[in-house]
Amino acid sequence: MVDDPGNYLRQDHLLIPSITAGRKVKVAMGYSFKGYMRSDGSAGTRNNIGIISSVICSSTVTNEIASKIDYAVPIVHSNGCAQLGDDFSVTKSMLSGVAENPNFHSNLLIGLGCETNQVTGLLAAIPNVKPIDGFSIQQMAGGTNTVAKGVAIASEWSKDITNEQRTDLPISKLKIGVITTDMDEQTLAITTPVVSALIDELLENDSTVICSLTRTLEPSGKILATKTKDTRSKEMLKTLSEGLNRRRWENDEGYALSVFSDEEKSLAAHEARLLGSKDLVEFLNINEKPSNRGLYLLKSSDNIVETISNFVSVGCNVALIISKEGILTTSNVIPCISLAPCNESQIHRDHVDFYIARGNEEKQTVTLLEKLLQVSSGELTALEEYELGEFAIPHIGTTF
Amino acid sequence: MKTFDGYRRPDGSIGVRNHVIVINTVGELSALTRKIANLTPGVIPVIHHGGVAQFPEDHTQTLRTLVGTAGHSNVSATLVVGTENDPIAQEIYKILKKKGKPVHTVCLNKNQKIPEILHEGRSWLLTALENSKKEVREQCDITELIVGLECGGSDAWSGITANPSIGAFSDMIIREGGTSVLAETTEAIGAEHILASNAINREVGREFLDIVRTYEHRIKQTGEDIRSANPTPGNMAGGLTTLEEKSLGCIKKGGGTPLKEVISYAGKPTEKGFVFMDTPGYDVESVCGLAAGGAQVVLFSTGKGSPTGSPIVPVIKIGTNPKVYEIMSEHIDINAGKIIDQNKSINDIGKEIFDKVITVSNGEKTAAENELNQEFAIWRLAESI
Repeated sequence: MVDDPGNYLRQDHLLIPSITAGRKVKVAMGYSFKGYMRSDGSAGTRNNIGIISSVICSSTVTNEIASKIDYAVPIVHSNGCAQLGDDFSVTKSMLSGVAENPNFHSNLLIGLGCETNQVTGLLAAIPNVKPIDGFSIQQMAGGTNTVAKGVAIASEWSKDITNEQRTDLPISKLKIGVITTDMDEQTLAITTPVVSALIDELLENDSTVICSLTRTLEPSGKILATKTKDTRSKEMLKTLSEGLNRRRWENDEGYALSVFSDEEKSLAAHEARLLGSKDLVEFLNINEKPSNRGLYLLKSSDNIVETISNFVSVGCNVALIISKEGILTTSNVIPCISLAPCNESQIHRDHVDFYIARGNEEKQTVTLLEKLLQVSSGELTALEEYELGEFAIPHIGTTF
Repeated sequence: MKTFDGYRRPDGSIGVRNHVIVINTVGELSALTRKIANLTPGVIPVIHHGGVAQFPEDHTQTLRTLVGTAGHSNVSATLVVGTENDPIAQEIYKILKKKGKPVHTVCLNKNQKIPEILHEGRSWLLTALENSKKEVREQCDITELIVGLECGGSDAWSGITANPSIGAFSDMIIREGGTSVLAETTEAIGAEHILASNAINREVGREFLDIVRTYEHRIKQTGEDIRSANPTPGNMAGGLTTLEEKSLGCIKKGGGTPLKEVISYAGKPTEKGFVFMDTPGYDVESVCGLAAGGAQVVLFSTGKGSPTGSPIVPVIKIGTNPKVYEIMSEHIDINAGKIIDQNKSINDIGKEIFDKVITVSNGEKTAAENELNQEFAIWRLAESI
């Protein structure tokens, strides 16, 4: 039987009791951060060079180029060849999206040459708004030549970066990803008042907030559908309570994705409150970029590296990751602030950036906003300090 | 009887390398695993982003691949980096322990500080590295060798020079009592009847036709045409015009010996002789499956030139034409183009490959090993959940 919204979720699940939605939070630094303005109107919170492999076959060369250049970040992954249809489209759009991310000052694309995902195709797909170049190992007659040419090009960009300064930018330039992982009710009970108030405050100030729609949030689809006026999103969200249509090739009736337990439904109800009180503009499919400012939901998976990378490719310049005990990975493109509830044992984990305790939510919201602005202005997160950034492209089908 | 010098493992298997590796169970630990390896020169990182949020068929395949990789005979010792109470880490540990392989798991308690985790991993690896240096090669029978057969970046010469030479090698090693494993189901499409008719019996032939049929069914379910991805742009630039043409060249790597067994991705051959493994045409994923299935060496023909390797097995590249050997020589070990311009026969190159397999098995590094090409990717079947 398909549940009616009222069966397990009530509208008041979406109300946040301790923080009044839309109230201005007084922040010491003001509503601005110091970032890098891009020619397309977006803003970077970091200023790096993307060295991007089009296919796994060029990943070693890509890593080598990046290791020789200041500010260079290697974007390597397992995809790029023998892919078809939507699965291939996701790979292409992920890579062009990453290149477009405002945290990259410039991009160098490195291919093998014979792969399905050709560098020339990527170059054509990426808007020409910042320095970009690309070539393949076969075109350059080997890895040694490719590394030499790549280093020559990227080292010039690196010199430019050295001379660039951060400037004051309005908070509306921030596109913040909000990612949940490893959730339980206690974590949500402690973190929701602060995070939802922060999301409301960011939206009041014209920022864009993109929340992850993972499997734990799926059972709350019908309630989420009431938060949007967009017809397409409303219809898609309504069907979520019956499970997202995740693709596979073998049917295993013993493993249905559309049946949720009461516990899962209850957790989803709590997680839905995290989004705050504002309306959703749209529900975005994997790798679909938001069309405007406001609050969005992005389809993602419980694979944290793939999900963070997905947020990079849709243009987020900073992210908040909420989990029970903190996570041990981050993005190598955008700073990810790790949030966790303050536990009873008060153990300080060095991979968590911000602990949220029960009570005093208003003050904690202000402090978290300050932290967000500081990190967006260049302060390193804990996982950036440890250089634990990764990148991965989700598959939505098999390779051939 | 031909021999080579390898490492005899406690479970009786023979390795041609003596690697110490660190491998992660789930994507969240990939960066930490890489960091542990970077802090311990000489240790090879085996990194992937799966192991979580997968449908059962993907989970099973990922686990089989990780177990096969971590417990490979080319690996002297394995550090597994997992989460707290990690079932994948526990499974790998149990299987490797039973094989008598040195194994340790760092199952992360998130109350530990990151430097403590790094220190624990590095300390165990330093000892494992020291212990691995005490292990010595000994004379082993060539019947212990399993050689994977792969191609990547094929051109019109692949089916004329390098692939038939690999086929000649395959026949030679099987005559000596060894095993060769052909892969890439995609690249059997259009030529499957030839391989099936060369099966040792009707049952094996039918099994082979079944995996090709299943493969084609999957492709049709996407609403796509396999021919839109295969031949690839590079294959076409190299003169291949259809998938059937590519497949007819691809299967020549199998030589003329009857097909004895069909195994699943990352599965282990149970018979010696000529075997087929169900893998995708994506070469890195295919090599990963061959290695996890126990191949100690992989042969890889290339018409366009490919640098890729494996973290655990030496991959011997065979160029299909003189031009690719000349311009991509840093990535290629053998020039099968000599059949075109130096009056060499397919058997001559087959013999050259045979000799190379022996010297590489004895410890000689391949081009991919010299360039530290250690690509690793597990064949994914479905969407992340």
